[in-house]
Amino acid sequence: MSALFPPWTNTVSRFSLVCLALGGVVGAVLLVLWVESPYFTGQHGPIEQPVQFDHRHHVADDGIDCRYCHSTVETAASAGFPALSVCMNCHGQIWNKSPMLEQVRAAYFSDRAIPWNRVHRLPDFVYFNHSIHVAKGVGCVSCHGRVDQMAQVTQVAPLTMGWCLGCHRAPEPNLRPREEITHLGWRPPTDSGALGHALVAQYDVHTRVSCSTCHR
Amino acid sequence: MSSLDPTGPDVPIARLRARPERRLWRSLEELARGTAPAGPEFPPGASAPPEPSRRDFLQLLGASAALAGLAGCVREPPEKILPYTRRPEDVAPGNPLHYATAYALDGIATGLLVTSYEGRPTKIEGNPDHPSSRGAAGVFEQALLLSLYDPARARAIRYRGAGRSWRAFLEYAAEAVDLHRKDGGAGLCFLGEPDASPLMADLHERVLRALPAARFFSYAPLAEDAAYEGARLAFGRPLQTRVDFSRARVVVSLDADFLGGGPDRLRAAREFASRRVPESELSRLYVVESALSLTGAMADHRVRMRSSEVVQFALGLALELSPQLQGGPHTQLTATRPLHVMARDLLANQGRSVVVAGARQPPLVHALAHAINAALGNADRTVAYAAPTLPDMAAGPAALAPLVADMRSGRVETLVITAPNPAYTAPADLDFGSALGKVPHAIYHGLYEDETAAQCAWFVPATHSLESWGDARAWDGTVSIVQPLIAPLFAGVTHAELWAAFVGEGDRGAHALVQDYWRRQPGRPDFDAFWEEALHDGVVRGSATRTESVTPRWADIAAAAAAAAAKPTSGGGIELNFLPDSKVYDGRFANNAWLQELPDPITKITWDNALLLSPTTAGRLGVESADLVEVTLRGRSLAAPVFVLPGHADDVASIALGYGRTGLNEELAQGVGANAYLVRPSDAPWFAPGASVRKIGRRARFAITQDHFTMEGRPLALVATPRELRQHPERIEEQRAALPTLYDPVPYPSYRWAMSIDLSRCIGCSACVVACQAENNIPVVGKERVARGREMHWLRIDRYFSGPSALDPEVVFQPVACQHCENAPCEYVCPVNATAHSDEGLNEMVYNRCVGTRYCSNNCPYKVRRFNFFDYVGQRTQPERMLQNPEVSIRSRGVMEKCTYCVQRIERARIDARVAGRTIREGEIQTACQQTCPTRAIVFGSLHDERAEVARLHADERRYDLLHELGTRPRTAYLVRLRNPNPELS
Repeated sequence: MSALFPPWTNTVSRFSLVCLALGGVVGAVLLVLWVESPYFTGQHGPIEQPVQFDHRHHVADDGIDCRYCHSTVETAASAGFPALSVCMNCHGQIWNKSPMLEQVRAAYFSDRAIPWNRVHRLPDFVYFNHSIHVAKGVGCVSCHGRVDQMAQVTQVAPLTMGWCLGCHRAPEPNLRPREEITHLGWRPPTDSGALGHALVAQYDVHTRVSCSTCHR
Repeated sequence: MSSLDPTGPDVPIARLRARPERRLWRSLEELARGTAPAGPEFPPGASAPPEPSRRDFLQLLGASAALAGLAGCVREPPEKILPYTRRPEDVAPGNPLHYATAYALDGIATGLLVTSYEGRPTKIEGNPDHPSSRGAAGVFEQALLLSLYDPARARAIRYRGAGRSWRAFLEYAAEAVDLHRKDGGAGLCFLGEPDASPLMADLHERVLRALPAARFFSYAPLAEDAAYEGARLAFGRPLQTRVDFSRARVVVSLDADFLGGGPDRLRAAREFASRRVPESELSRLYVVESALSLTGAMADHRVRMRSSEVVQFALGLALELSPQLQGGPHTQLTATRPLHVMARDLLANQGRSVVVAGARQPPLVHALAHAINAALGNADRTVAYAAPTLPDMAAGPAALAPLVADMRSGRVETLVITAPNPAYTAPADLDFGSALGKVPHAIYHGLYEDETAAQCAWFVPATHSLESWGDARAWDGTVSIVQPLIAPLFAGVTHAELWAAFVGEGDRGAHALVQDYWRRQPGRPDFDAFWEEALHDGVVRGSATRTESVTPRWADIAAAAAAAAAKPTSGGGIELNFLPDSKVYDGRFANNAWLQELPDPITKITWDNALLLSPTTAGRLGVESADLVEVTLRGRSLAAPVFVLPGHADDVASIALGYGRTGLNEELAQGVGANAYLVRPSDAPWFAPGASVRKIGRRARFAITQDHFTMEGRPLALVATPRELRQHPERIEEQRAALPTLYDPVPYPSYRWAMSIDLSRCIGCSACVVACQAENNIPVVGKERVARGREMHWLRIDRYFSGPSALDPEVVFQPVACQHCENAPCEYVCPVNATAHSDEGLNEMVYNRCVGTRYCSNNCPYKVRRFNFFDYVGQRTQPERMLQNPEVSIRSRGVMEKCTYCVQRIERARIDARVAGRTIREGEIQTACQQTCPTRAIVFGSLHDERAEVARLHADERRYDLLHELGTRPRTAYLVRLRNPNPELS
């Protein structure tokens, strides 16, 4: 009777063991890469919206300040999503017949909200507060990127905890004078390090990394 | 429990047809009987898996691991943002708003301040400007929030079971008024609860103007009729007694639970507690009572006796203290030692003492208390009198009897019921339910389609207090405008609108009704300014009623006393005591899970009531705790489980009202506890002699959160007299001195958050527990899981009995939440760093890191960590989900949680302060438990701030650490409970 397992099966079994071990390692590496990839963090591209709202036009062309629409950014956790009445402040007067705005008018007059798709989404156990960041000199562009150059808003920052902590451990590069908060194209003067340190002192910036700073 | 059905399948067809208004039924038996089958709706194990075998467990484990793995791969769907069409003024999404309103319980209001997020009320606190509240709120007021979102609330107006519109009801009401106009409204009766609302009084008058013969009755099962009768006996007219406990050095309570119950309990608790600390002159409390109450638990000397003997005791006290009564007949019960000592103590403190009589006691006891206070010169010092705030002085069970007689004789054609559930709360001997069947046009207005609704042709759902416009008055007469926090979730109408339907104004809306009423009042030239201010402040300034000076009619009191002294003490057998419940009140809160799961302050029983017996009586009857017994009183009997309670009077059995509900829709309340109304006599609603108790032989199962009474020799809740404190300061010092440690000291550069809990002030009322539950989105778990020790309360109140005798124990309450140890044992053992220390000394719990090993809980010496064995919150339906505080994460299954010192409040205050460019001020952060505490026992703040009260209290001579010898360095400090016993009695 021939052996049930001929000698070459030893090689196969050794090879499979190595593959298994390697597979585990490769799998773990892939998982880490995937978790940090733009696909996982949500940076993979613009998100379709029910109405084609173009920030390029409103911010860059018309020069409307961010806070005209996102009006609670200095007083609340949420920057505030503009009510339809804010749209109609202008579009009641201009482009008030435009077919592109038909949906906005219909929603406004029927008192039904337009369901926008959220772009910057944090998990429910994270409590981010816009007002404190704005008060301490963190500009809109630091997290949201050049929104004035986006046809459709895209998430540019990974919004991972590591990314948050990076700034909370060393906030200096991301600070700017409060007057420049909404100035998306602002560039620091050459000696940016000195300005950051000066602003930390001037605005009394005390970044915290205790868990309950963000998790409650 | 199996369902034993008395009705067989051969139900007479006539009975089936007799109840056409019922909508749903599951069996012929149920249809014929009109109630659900006894026992649970679903068989055991239907809603939860049965206890798994080891094999099943492993299968479930494998399956859930696989499913959890799959679930982890699912990308969450995109989140939608739905902006406002027009953003309301002042609303910034995520920033809470606070509105002042009021809630009236049995007609007397407590001012409230309600937190609302985007139009969604999420937390109820007391209104600091309100004279009764002063910022505090009791368990009932706070738990209103859960009742608001109760999915069991009635949702439609019905006529004989079929849905109707409000318009249809208005037409019906108009027709009824036309019909009744013929005889002036003689066949029209209104049955409401006592109500001090000026608007309702006005509507009352207007109905009477149209229909002069219409009659109004008030009914509240816990009404304080005897107090008003007592004042009538003593002063010739009904008066309200107002006690200022902050001025009283000696307080004698004659069966008065002024801390646990009563319309002004929050103010009484605050004033009383202000005299229990060494900063003030320490007061001394004597309590005479039968069942151990919260007030009894605070007593320096407690005399337990049958409720019926209290009158003799009062008589004895009055004869010793008021010369005006002396020379009269002597009572049988005079020469007891405590009585003499009490009398001497009162005499030594004339003008600085007070004797209070309990609402459960007959009018004579109240009259005697008034007499004693007058004789001691306490009147106008510690006790004052005023015209009653409530217009209805007779609202107890006895007042209901004439109405029931009329209903039975057919003289009541239309009955409008706005009192909560009288078919359930009326004493059984009145048989209100069957009398109601004789009323052709019964209209019931209530929050739930309950026992009463089932008997009435019309049902009109009531709006919740937080959905209503109206007005109300506090105990001292201060008016509050009740404003809604949210539009009615279901098709409710207010009490005012219902009555207005009978004067043809039912379609005007409650807002117009209440505003019109106040617009008509003279003396307010600028009505809009008045209205804005009243709504904003939550009180109408200067609307309190004045107190007046009165003199007792000594002769009348002496005559009544003589008559009582001549009467033999009534009856043998066991005296059956009826008590207001600390949680469900008279039964109206029975469907409120927060209250049902709240442990009773004294017995620590959840989801149940019990027949309380003293150890001696239980021994004589041969019963022990959890034995089911049959209590029989005057031929009516009731099965209830026994709970043996130290400190209870002998030969007395006590049972709380409000349980044993059978309402079809209130699922939570069904089958919880025993219905004591079934044996409550209408002529003796509070205590009656001649009861018998018989052991049935079966046993019940209690869900008790603390089933042992002693501290087992450990220094947990420390108690001392001022003298002991002076003589042995080292005994306290031992419990707080720094212990050697191997760890380097940790610097806390910014704030050092800390708490102090003063056991001298804590009265055990449990308001903090409900506050914590509401603030921190804490789930309820149900009786079964509480019985397994899986309750989720972050804050518990331990109750210890001590003293030489189990029959007369001393009681001490100790609130225990996470101690936020500087050397926290939980932190060392967490394998995933899910519980960590913050730079300000908070022991933080990071839910998203927690993997549920429960090592931390095992290593916690204080046992304050709670584990989510199931996904309790995920099971919630709309509208219950609207309840959640958006500032606090919802914890899922498999996650540990515990007190955070309300870190969400710290962070909000920090961000507000930092945006404004300043530091957090002392008093800016109040934890939820601290905020609501009526006695200010809990203080929170930063130890770095020398002016902070918490820093002062941490340095107090009474301060000690819980389980100090473990070296955990807790940030929560306790202050020793002070007792002030009379040296003559100790």
